[in-house]
Amino acid sequence: MRVTWELPDGSTITADVTDGSNLMEAAVAAGVPRVLGECGGNLACATCHVYVAEGWQAATGAPGEFEDAMLDATEAPRGPGSRLSCQIIASAALDGLLLRVPG
Amino acid sequence: MTVWTPSDDGFADITSHDAYLAGPPHNTFARMRRDDPCAWTDYPQGEGFWSITRQADILACNGKPDIFSSARGIRMEDQTYAEYLARRTFQETDAPDHMMTRIKVARAFSPGVVAGFEQAIRDLCDEILDEALAQDEFDATKAIARQLPMRMLGRILGLPEADLPWLVEKGDALIANTDPDFTAHVLDRMTTDEFRLMPFNSPAGAELYIYAKDLMAQKAAAGDTGGVLHMILQPAKDGSTITEEEFRNFFCLLVAAGNDTTRYSIAAGIQALCHQPELLAQMQSGSVWDTAPDEIIRWATPATYFRRTAAQDTELHGKTIRAGDKVIYWFASGNRDDAAFADPFRVDLSRKPNPHLSFGQGGPHICLGMWLARLEVRVLFQELSRRLAHIEPAGPQKFLRSNFVGGIKELPVRLKRT
Repeated sequence: MRVTWELPDGSTITADVTDGSNLMEAAVAAGVPRVLGECGGNLACATCHVYVAEGWQAATGAPGEFEDAMLDATEAPRGPGSRLSCQIIASAALDGLLLRVPG
Repeated sequence: MTVWTPSDDGFADITSHDAYLAGPPHNTFARMRRDDPCAWTDYPQGEGFWSITRQADILACNGKPDIFSSARGIRMEDQTYAEYLARRTFQETDAPDHMMTRIKVARAFSPGVVAGFEQAIRDLCDEILDEALAQDEFDATKAIARQLPMRMLGRILGLPEADLPWLVEKGDALIANTDPDFTAHVLDRMTTDEFRLMPFNSPAGAELYIYAKDLMAQKAAAGDTGGVLHMILQPAKDGSTITEEEFRNFFCLLVAAGNDTTRYSIAAGIQALCHQPELLAQMQSGSVWDTAPDEIIRWATPATYFRRTAAQDTELHGKTIRAGDKVIYWFASGNRDDAAFADPFRVDLSRKPNPHLSFGQGGPHICLGMWLARLEVRVLFQELSRRLAHIEPAGPQKFLRSNFVGGIKELPVRLKRT
């Protein structure tokens, strides 16, 4: 699948991501700034926060219970479409996904 | 020049507290990284363990909490199941229990909330530095590094200012429980059976238990809703509340972790300023603050190691780690691994990327206080560097007697103010 990250300055980074991998790892591999994933995708640090673009939020689904709590501990304000990208798993259904990186 | 050069012969007993008296035995860690990166290490006081010493291996293992469990203890010492149950904090749990506690405290230590403390930290730094720098020669650990973290934690927790010196003393005894300068109950030199169900196996833990219990009752009676303590006493979304035992152990963890780690990061940063004179001008230029705190915290590595226990058989570097074996992540070694850091014994305030492990990066137990630590270190060195024209050693530094806490406990300095 293909994912695009839109940075705060409007520029974008696009990468092909293997199905089954998580989108924090994909962002780190693609060098997306400000997506850090310091806890290695274990839901403990909230440093992989992204906003899922309108139109994709149903496909990516709602955050789970622990993720929902950790979204209150992010650096940038929580907003519509806020997710921890370590919890979004790449799949064909998400091909073309647009994620906005917090400023 | 480099800040400090290891002096061990390459074959130190890394389990011995005395092996750290001249600083971590880095020649030994370097040999282990090169020759045997997953080494079986004998432990005279109990069961031996596997030593993981390379940065990349620690990072990879730390990301597999299903294989390397925290729920059987996180220190080298063996403990009975009864001791484990009585002393454990959320550091000694796995998912989902770990997250059940973590979500109760994560917001209070989140980057957004912590950023709001910057002015309070700067005001505290002003007070501490104005007092310390009234002299030209002093012990920088005692006069500067020891002061900031505990006073700041007290304000965050909503503790009475008058209690803070006592808490600093108890926090020292709790975590530096192998150094006779900090406790009369040196863990490996006496039988502390009386305290074996207390946090950190220490009588200071017993006293902190009582303090925390009384504090909890006072705050409840007064309807006090300020500070992080109130936040963690609130029921979770599922209606569950933190138990009294969980609360007391978590309080001890905050005192110990909030006290020591940032202190020794600050001490190590001042040590670096003394031995790499170019660092002062770099700080004064203002260009290094995005990266300097992490480099100072890498250089310090206040937590020398954390332990895990294999939950299943697994292979690493051709060795078979059996279920039940203890596995130790030597952060002190990983943070000096030249496969991950160019010139690791040099402090480079612009180092980027800086994949250090001081916060337990790459795993679920990543330091809850890392945003506060980075902020305190940044503000302290911003305020210190703008006051300094020159700083140099004024005598030999002394390290803690501990295989667990890496710290410079005495750092005599001589300085000229701007």
